[in-house]
Amino acid sequence: MTARTGRRLLNAYVVAMMVFLALPIAIVIPSAFGEGGDLSFPPRGFSLKWFGAILERPELMAAAANSAAIALVATAVSLVVGTLSAVALRRYSFPGRGALMTLFMAPLVFPAIVLAAAIAMVLAPLGLIRTFQGLVLAHIVVVLPYVVRTVSATLAEIDRAWEEAALTLGASPWQGFRTVTLPLLRPGLVAGATFSLIISFDEFTISLFLVGSGMMTLPIEMYNYAEFSLDPTLAAVSTLLILLTTLAVLAVERTVGLGKQFS
Amino acid sequence: MSGPAKGVALSGVAKWYGKVPAVRGLDLEVAPGEMVSLLGPSGCGKTTTLRMVAGLEAPDAGEIRIGGTRANEVPPWRRNIGMVFQSYALFPHKSVAENIAYGLVMRRLPRAEVAARVADAMRQVQLQGLDERVPSQLSGGQRQRVALARALVTRPDVLLFDEPLAALDRKLRERMQVEIRQLQRAVGITTIFVTHDQDEALTLSDRIVVMEGGRIVQSGTPGEIYERPGSHFVSDFIGMMNALRATVTGRAEDGGLRVRLEPGGRELAVAGPAGMAAGDGVELMLRPEKVRLNPPAGAGLIHVGGTVAHVVYLGAVTYLHVGTPDGLVIAMLPNAGGDAAAPRQGDAVTLGWRAADMVCFAPPRDA
Repeated sequence: MTARTGRRLLNAYVVAMMVFLALPIAIVIPSAFGEGGDLSFPPRGFSLKWFGAILERPELMAAAANSAAIALVATAVSLVVGTLSAVALRRYSFPGRGALMTLFMAPLVFPAIVLAAAIAMVLAPLGLIRTFQGLVLAHIVVVLPYVVRTVSATLAEIDRAWEEAALTLGASPWQGFRTVTLPLLRPGLVAGATFSLIISFDEFTISLFLVGSGMMTLPIEMYNYAEFSLDPTLAAVSTLLILLTTLAVLAVERTVGLGKQFS
Repeated sequence: MSGPAKGVALSGVAKWYGKVPAVRGLDLEVAPGEMVSLLGPSGCGKTTTLRMVAGLEAPDAGEIRIGGTRANEVPPWRRNIGMVFQSYALFPHKSVAENIAYGLVMRRLPRAEVAARVADAMRQVQLQGLDERVPSQLSGGQRQRVALARALVTRPDVLLFDEPLAALDRKLRERMQVEIRQLQRAVGITTIFVTHDQDEALTLSDRIVVMEGGRIVQSGTPGEIYERPGSHFVSDFIGMMNALRATVTGRAEDGGLRVRLEPGGRELAVAGPAGMAAGDGVELMLRPEKVRLNPPAGAGLIHVGGTVAHVVYLGAVTYLHVGTPDGLVIAMLPNAGGDAAAPRQGDAVTLGWRAADMVCFAPPRDA
């Protein structure tokens, strides 16, 4: 095989993979702008009426509000807890540090369904099923590893000498943290918060065990909706979610750079 | 200065990292206003010692006193010290002026005084006009000056340097050495300077403390350390040295040693340490600049003939590597400005030196 054919095959493979990954998204967005009442592709005509239809679905609106509130609270808590955990895990050595680090990362590798069942078994006796608080607690478990990870990665780039310089200049450890470490952690905090918001808003498996009438999240309400009607309203909601996520990721990429968080 | 200069005293200070001793029972007094260098190879415990004075490491044994007061339990932020780090450790998210002001802001000084003292400090280190720059926009020398200003502006009792010039190129390093020394003299601040660079230690210090393996092996003025090294290690570490191998043959009447140079078999009388007995192997240490080329006969010198094996021309000086029956001898010839041609490779020469310029030590055990 010549280098040129090899190169062509590689190009073809890359294009095929990208189409495969992007195809569902490429189909759902045009579907949201169709005139017809079914989810057909390619869509017929052009209309924005399905975006308007979202507003006439109180259950979707309520679920979206729930999801947003859960994501915000879970993210806020995770930022504080995750930052403190990352600082402890990175900056101090103590017995059980390795085990604790593994524990923090466990939700990333655990099968979500196992985690979901386990969380439900813990929350049920506490009366936290079908409550906002229960969902927030469960989502914290899911998003915390992402915050710990991004903050740790940023912390690794913060020279200890900066913190030590602050101490020798008269700053107490807390003042040093507030005036030196925390401002330098900003990129990690922004990235961690963005991932946390997106992942919580999108969380399905674990939420499925915890929701119920009166306390639904958007992904599950969308699933319920799809069971009964397959009109483009769902495509419209999906399009809005894609738009929001893309904007968030772009904002992070612009301000702090995403590549760094996965190095 | 918040008052008269304060001294630093360490007594019996020790520090282990796990089971590895980093500093073992160190006694050191730094007089008020004195500039002391801790000099030694990496791993000798000099940086650990400095960090214990700063309070960034806690000693496992012994006592550290600053200005006569026990400081062991005082955290770094209450020790009133200034420290210049190896990497400078300038805050990357703060401007030059904010970096310098940091210690003053932490001390809650009024804003007007902070501004005035920052401006003063910037003038002192010739950084005027760079207030708004951030560290990444500065050259190595400028960063060094910011670090120095930041450490001095709080008027600390003790100034600590952790190999701050290692990253600079040679010219700039030499200029900064002079600047630091002048500034230190002008302010009269007690200073401890850690370095592995002997020239730096010689340039900067009132006193050099040579460390090896967590201990002080010699302490003295630059002249004392250079002219009268107390051990093979010190003589080898500071400056260039010839080491001629010899065997002790007995004691001389004046208390010196009689030795026989190893390859050549020449017998000499030299000053030597006590505890040497006939049959012991020793090394005779001789500075290249004490060796004279083709000296007149009968000047009371030891004369050795040899052949030039290699010539190292450095401009200001030339080093001749001369193979002699007694081993390789390096001679340093100053560039006297005349056009008297220096010997070339292969030339036969005679070298001469005074017996008193040789110092005799037991060779290091691992040699």
